[in-house]
Amino acid sequence: MLLIMDNKRTRSGGRSGGVPGIRRRIGSRLGRCGIALGLAAAGFVACSGGTAGASGKVTISIWEGYTTTEAKTFSHLVKQYEKAHPNVTVSVLYVNNTDTLTKVQTALAGGTPPDIAYIFGSWAPNVAQMSQVVNLTKVVKRPGVHWDDFFVGERDVATVGKRVVGIPALVDNLAVVYNKTLFQQAHLAFPTPNWTWNQFEADAATLTDHAKKQFGTAYVTPQSEDAVWHWEVLLWEAGGHLLTRGDKAAAFDSPAGLRTLNLLRQMAVVQHSVYLDPTDMEYTNIFNSGKIGMLVTGPWDLASFPNVHYGVQIMPSFPGSSGGHQTISGPDNWVIFNNGASHVSAAEKFVLWLTAPAQVKYFSLHTGDLPIRSSVANSSGFLQQMNAKLPGVSAFVQNLKNVKQARPQIPSYSRISTVLANMVISVLVGSAMPKQALETASQKVDQILQSGSSG
Amino acid sequence: MSVARSRRAASEHLTGWAFVTPATLVIGLFGAAPIVWSIVLSFQHASFGPGGKFAGLSNYRELVHDPTVRQAMENTLVYTAAFVPLTMIVGLGLAVAMNRKIRFISVYRTAAYVTMAVSTINEALIFLWLFDPTYGIVNWFTGLFGLPAQPWLNSPHEALAVIVVMTVWGWTGFAVIIYLAALQGIPQTVLDAATMDGASGWATFRRVTVPLLSPASLFLAVWLTINALQLFDEVFVTTQGGPVGATTVIVYYIFQQGFQYFNLGYASAIALILLIITLLVTAIQFRVGRRYVHYRS
Repeated sequence: MLLIMDNKRTRSGGRSGGVPGIRRRIGSRLGRCGIALGLAAAGFVACSGGTAGASGKVTISIWEGYTTTEAKTFSHLVKQYEKAHPNVTVSVLYVNNTDTLTKVQTALAGGTPPDIAYIFGSWAPNVAQMSQVVNLTKVVKRPGVHWDDFFVGERDVATVGKRVVGIPALVDNLAVVYNKTLFQQAHLAFPTPNWTWNQFEADAATLTDHAKKQFGTAYVTPQSEDAVWHWEVLLWEAGGHLLTRGDKAAAFDSPAGLRTLNLLRQMAVVQHSVYLDPTDMEYTNIFNSGKIGMLVTGPWDLASFPNVHYGVQIMPSFPGSSGGHQTISGPDNWVIFNNGASHVSAAEKFVLWLTAPAQVKYFSLHTGDLPIRSSVANSSGFLQQMNAKLPGVSAFVQNLKNVKQARPQIPSYSRISTVLANMVISVLVGSAMPKQALETASQKVDQILQSGSSG
Repeated sequence: MSVARSRRAASEHLTGWAFVTPATLVIGLFGAAPIVWSIVLSFQHASFGPGGKFAGLSNYRELVHDPTVRQAMENTLVYTAAFVPLTMIVGLGLAVAMNRKIRFISVYRTAAYVTMAVSTINEALIFLWLFDPTYGIVNWFTGLFGLPAQPWLNSPHEALAVIVVMTVWGWTGFAVIIYLAALQGIPQTVLDAATMDGASGWATFRRVTVPLLSPASLFLAVWLTINALQLFDEVFVTTQGGPVGATTVIVYYIFQQGFQYFNLGYASAIALILLIITLLVTAIQFRVGRRYVHYRS
């Protein structure tokens, strides 16, 4: 029970941020194995250039929300850094990720912000409004940083307007995890990289057996961002856009938008092939019990499926659409606050070291988190090593190249998200028709964008 | 008045103040000050941190026209109207059943109260499972009688009802304890007198017991109403206000505005309206209650 509660807590945390990413940290089994991954100590020498500030000793404070394996791995890296930089002390404080933004804002008001904080990517627009946030635009252009090595979805979320406000800290994405046994029993071919939503829909219908309480797929129904980003990816694949260029008005009340909601309605209301999960968490247990054929989910869920022989395939595409097989990602950032030049300098050096390829690789291999740099994803033997620890995760690593765009980087996104959640769920539960749901939501989003006010 | 006496009186005053000052300070600092601050915020366009701009009455004007505020008010009132009487009736029924000398009575009483001790998270998880549309026991049970499976939390029409059932279960133990204590305070002689006058069991209950329980009933009605108007935890853990706003209650909307949209000024304005509504409802309950509450002399 404790585990479930813990799980739920971080989960609801992810949701209540308005937010993205659904940070469900499964203390992934990787680290627990305690296997030395044979990373040469040389890996850490990558930081050799970074010496401590000339002015003597400096202590930088960092707020992060890591738990279990991630916490252990992070603390190991911090110790490594301190050993290599005797003049720098890194003071680490655990802050639940859900609370970080409000706590940082309170600390800013009190004049004592941390030097570095782990902040959800969806809050980047709010972060950009804070006066003490360090502008990293020039920092990421420094030689050796290789900003382009970070995936485009991450860079988009770390950038507000043209200003870089954070360095990527984490990335994930959505793909389809399917139960191979159920596919074989139904005499269905496994999904291929060029599959379509028509196939997905047909497979879901075939895999559904109400007598056995078995469903083709699942969708979560609480009024949260989790229900929204699963739909946004559909919209992009259908070739649609959420907002017009410049984020001035809603753009999803379009043929593409209609196509996505029609698909959801067809599956959920007409064919009843979707398990609608009001808990936003039981779907993992039900999939693990072999009662769900396909899940659109991220790498964080894989460790919850020990009983299922599963495969992972990239997202399907809509036939005839330019959107292709793209996916969506919910990256988070390290944000640096100005506590004086020596602190800023030390904080920048630490974050750049932490997000350098050697450390990224170490962190991924120990935690199962996807690598935030493409050079790490492409490094030889990396995928095999990841997969050996967490089967299927390599497909998510490769899927990172299918991240083509980010959600709108505007402070009112969390309010738009609530409107979109209502729109999607109203179609899924059959209380609204797609066209009408799109129109209503589109009007509301326009109002939010125009007023910039609360209601 | 002699000098000695007035000195003694003054020192008694001082002693009195010395006793109450620490508590007053704590309540002032952590109770009154935040309320005053949120009143100030409600007249500002404010987020976290410094830099709130004075906004006059604009937050209040806005909430009058905000359809979500209206929906949240309606949901809150419907919830309160269902939750308060149901909890009292179920609590009274159980209390009467337990107000007798039978074997294992203390076990039953403990069992009834246990619902109060269960944390909201556990309570919510249990009910999520019970009411799961596909795998839940509730649909399985009603299915035995040939009733169609219901979507429960996935339905805009049924989700609030599930929250009502969940919270009635959670608060019943509290009502049972209050009613049990009140029942045990009713003198046996009064009940015996009713029996001797030829009153049936039901008549005794209706004409003697229920009126004598009225102080407890008033207390419960007020207490449960205040809690119902502030419903939040169960919604936060289960539906997050959905589906389609069906369980967005006032405090959940305040949370959304304050901690998801960072409109602290607007959230404070709604919170202040809720405070006023709560005070009004409570005042009405006391006023109406005065007519029906009978205290034993």
